Amino acid sequence: MSGLVVVRVAGLATVQDRGRPGRMHEGVPVGGALVPELLARANAAVDNAWDEAAIEVLGSIAVAAAGPLFVGNDAGDVCVLSDGETWSVDCQGARVRYLAVRGGIDVPRVLGGRGTLLSAGLGGHEGRPLRRGDSLAAGSGPPVQTEAPLTLDPLAPLRVVPGPDLDRVGPDVLERLVSSQLTVDPRSDRAGVRLAGPPLGRPLADTGVSAPMVRGAIQLPPDGVPIVLGPDHPTTGGYPVIGTVVRADHGRLAALRVGARVRLVAVGGQFSAAATPGR
Amino acid sequence: MEVVLEPFGDAAWRVRLPEQGNRRALLDSLRGLPQVLDAVVCERHAVVTFEPAAPPSEASVREAVASALTAPEQGSAPSMHRIPVRYDGADLDDLARTVALSRDDVISLHAAPVYVVAAMGFLPGFGYLRGLDARLVVPRRASPRQHVPPLSVAIAGPYTGVYPFSSPGGWHLLGTAVGFSPFDALRGATLALGDRVRFVPESP
Repeated sequence: MSGLVVVRVAGLATVQDRGRPGRMHEGVPVGGALVPELLARANAAVDNAWDEAAIEVLGSIAVAAAGPLFVGNDAGDVCVLSDGETWSVDCQGARVRYLAVRGGIDVPRVLGGRGTLLSAGLGGHEGRPLRRGDSLAAGSGPPVQTEAPLTLDPLAPLRVVPGPDLDRVGPDVLERLVSSQLTVDPRSDRAGVRLAGPPLGRPLADTGVSAPMVRGAIQLPPDGVPIVLGPDHPTTGGYPVIGTVVRADHGRLAALRVGARVRLVAVGGQFSAAATPGR
Repeated sequence: MEVVLEPFGDAAWRVRLPEQGNRRALLDSLRGLPQVLDAVVCERHAVVTFEPAAPPSEASVREAVASALTAPEQGSAPSMHRIPVRYDGADLDDLARTVALSRDDVISLHAAPVYVVAAMGFLPGFGYLRGLDARLVVPRRASPRQHVPPLSVAIAGPYTGVYPFSSPGGWHLLGTAVGFSPFDALRGATLALGDRVRFVPESP
């Protein structure tokens, strides 16, 4: 059986896949890759189904093969490593990258997924970030030919469906959201992206009652600095939601580097899942 | 009754709920609808999620809400959980001063009610428990803690609950749950919407 050993990690590296839908009523967020399109590209490079478990890297990682190993990344680079050979993935200018191995990272499936949920110490490799010395096995499923999804356009605005809590904020908050110079705040993580910029205004009243939340929801906390919920978001929350980023644009938001400009545009109605991989 | 589906992005709808009605029955029926990936029911809202290209029928969601909320006998039977508590929380003395009661009174008031799981959320396995004695209702702490220890039994506003994991938190810590596992990697959450909970003081 082949696999890999982590030789070096800088930043955060976790095992992630498509997530574990169906458990939100137990407080378990769907999770899944920050950028599903890049997970899909890395998996396509090594002939995996788009949603196989791979290593999500915010920073850099180097691995050594334990036995022969076919590895790839989200840029489409591939390499067949012999035992002991090393390979690395470095974010450099990117926010997040993926390292995939043929057959997927073979960690146990927990509650329907192999991804790591750090807040609960669940899934992935022992429920925690990868560390130097960790050993991961590669799966042995048959190769699958998949199309790598198109490259992400970092400049196209992110589409936002307004509401549903606009009645709990000032009348011009939505207008300020789409017209302000907003950037990705360094405090962003897998739970959410903070949008640094001029405060958009305060919530009018605190209802004191939590409501269900979804990935992409743009919450307005009392400090007026909005947070767009990410894959590992708390499943309920009390701040008003002024808009929600559409599903097909979640990956493009998560791919933005810290400090990058976030352009939002208000839209209505339903959007196709065309940019979502695997469909 | 009129049921309004509010768009919540392009992959979810939200429904504002009336005060009355069986939340557990509603959750069961929403989770059972074709095309629904996730359903979450809180005190004032329910949300269903779906693939943007394959939403459930709006009529099916409306019908599920209307029928579950008007037929209170429906739904799976709630469980009763008895949770032993060591009342050793870091905020117990401060809280007792705030509400002008003795430490022992706070403990006995907290351990008296049968609580109801009014919502599940925040963290995996965390239940918002309703039924707190009005004398113990206080706002959250002015400054949240960065690390609340796992299994902390805490209160804030009209709620009490047990932190399943170490996390930041602004609730007042009354004690520690003993021999209770709020979340299990194999089975998921121990509590479910509508379940009943009693806290039982451990003798020191």
